[in-house]
Amino acid sequence: MKKKANIKLILGGVVIALALVYLLISATRSNTQYFMTVQELQEQQSELQGQKLRMSGAVIGESIQYNPETLDLSFTVAQIPGDHRLIEQMGGMAKVLAEAVADPDAARMTIHYTGVKPDLLKDEAQAIVTGTLDENGVFQASELLMKCPSRYESALPEQAGD
Amino acid sequence: MFYAGLGTFAVAALLMLVSLGITIRQLLRKQTEISTVVRRLTNLVFGLHTLSILILLYMLVKQDYANAYVVGVINPAMPTYLKVTALWGGQAGSLFFWSWIINLCMVVALNRRHILQDNWSYLFALLNLIFFSGISLFVENPFRQVWQLADASLSESLFSPAVGAQVYAGLIGFGLNPLLRHWGMIIHPPILYIGFGAFMLPFAEALGHLVIKGNGEDLIARLRPWLLIAWIFLTAGIALGSWWSYDVLGWGGYWAWDPVETSSLLPWLISTGLLHSMFLQQKRAIFKRINLVLILLSYLLIIFSILMTRAGLLSSVHAFGESAISRPLMIFLIVFCALSLGLIIWRWKKLDSGWEFKSYFSRDALFLYTLVLLGAIALVCLWGLLYPLASTAFGGMEITLDRGYYDRSVTPLFMLLVFLMAVCPLVGWSLGSLKKLGKKALIPTIISVAGTAAAYIRVSRSWVALLSIFIVLLGLAVLVTQTVSELRGSGQPLMRFWQMRSRYGAYLVHAGILLIVLGIVGVEGLSQNIQGTMIPGDKMPLDNYLVEFVELQERYDNPEYLSVRAQINLWRDDKIVAQLEPGQDIYENRGQYVSIPGKRSTLAGDFYTLMLGYDLTMGYVVIQATLNPLVNFMWLGGIFLCLGAAFSLSSPVVREQALRRSDEDLDETEERESDAA
Repeated sequence: MKKKANIKLILGGVVIALALVYLLISATRSNTQYFMTVQELQEQQSELQGQKLRMSGAVIGESIQYNPETLDLSFTVAQIPGDHRLIEQMGGMAKVLAEAVADPDAARMTIHYTGVKPDLLKDEAQAIVTGTLDENGVFQASELLMKCPSRYESALPEQAGD
Repeated sequence: MFYAGLGTFAVAALLMLVSLGITIRQLLRKQTEISTVVRRLTNLVFGLHTLSILILLYMLVKQDYANAYVVGVINPAMPTYLKVTALWGGQAGSLFFWSWIINLCMVVALNRRHILQDNWSYLFALLNLIFFSGISLFVENPFRQVWQLADASLSESLFSPAVGAQVYAGLIGFGLNPLLRHWGMIIHPPILYIGFGAFMLPFAEALGHLVIKGNGEDLIARLRPWLLIAWIFLTAGIALGSWWSYDVLGWGGYWAWDPVETSSLLPWLISTGLLHSMFLQQKRAIFKRINLVLILLSYLLIIFSILMTRAGLLSSVHAFGESAISRPLMIFLIVFCALSLGLIIWRWKKLDSGWEFKSYFSRDALFLYTLVLLGAIALVCLWGLLYPLASTAFGGMEITLDRGYYDRSVTPLFMLLVFLMAVCPLVGWSLGSLKKLGKKALIPTIISVAGTAAAYIRVSRSWVALLSIFIVLLGLAVLVTQTVSELRGSGQPLMRFWQMRSRYGAYLVHAGILLIVLGIVGVEGLSQNIQGTMIPGDKMPLDNYLVEFVELQERYDNPEYLSVRAQINLWRDDKIVAQLEPGQDIYENRGQYVSIPGKRSTLAGDFYTLMLGYDLTMGYVVIQATLNPLVNFMWLGGIFLCLGAAFSLSSPVVREQALRRSDEDLDETEERESDAA
């Protein structure tokens, strides 16, 4: 009796485990996003076309173009490092963003988006964009996220929500 | 105030160490029962800790800008209730508050005298308290002061950082992050923390139980009320967070699979499994090992969740940013994981309950499937959380999984789970006797098929939505018919309902889950939305409604922010049914805004509008309107979960035992019948 019971349990367990592994693999495969910097993206442009990507960069204020009728938005971002620790070493996010915008040699990329222009989209803001790279090297964003680091706040206790 | 606050906290921390010393000495002398001295000390420590918290609160409300934490979260224009909530609005304050909650749970448990009465359990609880108090004292101290150095630069520390430095109270902060300025902030964090803290008690008790070579027998009976209370608070905390994000943050979403949300779901899933397996141990003295594992895992996952929120490992709306506490917290988690694992392995044999897996369709098996499904969902969530970290560590490149991952993997598992839940009352009680099963299932099947057919004709053609509606209707109909037939069988239905409240509480919880599913179907499957740029007088259709933009208003309700509101008339059948005011509160000096949705809420659904953007000079606004049918059933379901669990909780375990016997006899006969058939 005991043996039979164990076989049943093991059989059931194996079936469930296989189903779960299949589910995990298939869901992971179809939904990965690469989180990259502007430079990494440009270096691997050809391989990454059509892939779902996430990228972070510094917004260049004068490049922002927006048509409120058609909701067409485009702007350029400049390279900032992806590593938090490196950014801290370089003097904090606000400083890194300002330097990236001022540096004419930094890697740059144009972003296109259809939708409402976020209020926080301005010079030296950090843009985190999700989308794909098209054949012209323009980033077609499906999602925009803006962050404005405040110089003042960074020296003081951090809050939830920042 | 600074000396009073820090002083009381420091003395409290010192007395914790004294308690620790006494407890260890007693353990070395093989005394298991906790001593009176330690009891008194614990009460005293709690008193001092409370006093210290009150002093910090006083500093927040009185705006003591010499305190760096106050500068970070307070500004003069904030209303008093927000100044109070600022206690848990920032990293240092919320950690301090969390250590106090742990202390609160300990004191309540110690004085109620059901658990934490032996030195080992007390020791494990105390170690938690000491660890988090230590973090507050040495790493993220909320009493740090702002100092002005000789060269006029500012710095923050507890005591004078250099010769000639002076306390500086001239810095005035921006106040609490605008996203947190809502009355959800008053209740969501404390309730969640109490839920988190209450799980610490069963954890400590279980560890103590393992050390003193307990066999798991009476453990669950003692822990049941605490586990239920913890579960209620955890559930309420998560539900409130979800409601808050839907109602206020302007995301229009109730759940975004944000890493912090996901990590708070992990302990919920595991403890929900625990509530099920615990039931089997109480009834049949089986699943002892599983129960112990789940008790330990629940709290370890809570620590994991705290680590995720506070260590700045992941980007999230909830994140507190990079912090020095991540390393100690990680070590703490690893130590307690290792300890739990070691103790469980050491005692594995002794905890055997002699259970055998007999049939794929026995009642035990159905409970096991519930556990497996809950565990599978937890595993899927854990994988989603850890994947970005693992990919950075091994591949060098950060790869995140988006919402689609969770939608695709959690949805089928969750639907299977809900289906199991819907049919369990039917199958579990009389399996095999097809005639009986058919009779019981007849009415629910008719109702759910008819309802689904109606939904197919009138509402939706999506098979996921229809399947969900079918399951929900089936589940609700089964619960109602089952309850009615059970109660009618006994002479006094009301009396029996009251006596059996542990069962009917569970039914209410299940009904709550079904209502939540209904709400999710409404938002995910049936919602419609439209977005457009409008000038005054423009109208935009959605379903049977017309959205008319009247005018744009700017006003200063509060000196801190500019309120921009779009006046909107909501038309239906040529009548104005509501006037909505979506808009934004713009905090100009922070460069940040908060969306304020305008909505019309009925049980049938919400008409939800957001102002996504505006331009005063050109006079246009961008409005997004969404019709979310059934969404309010989600919040109703959340209320059912908590009330149902509280109803179960009110049933004393002792009295239940007497009842259980007759109940079990009934079940046994039914089971025998089914075996015969």
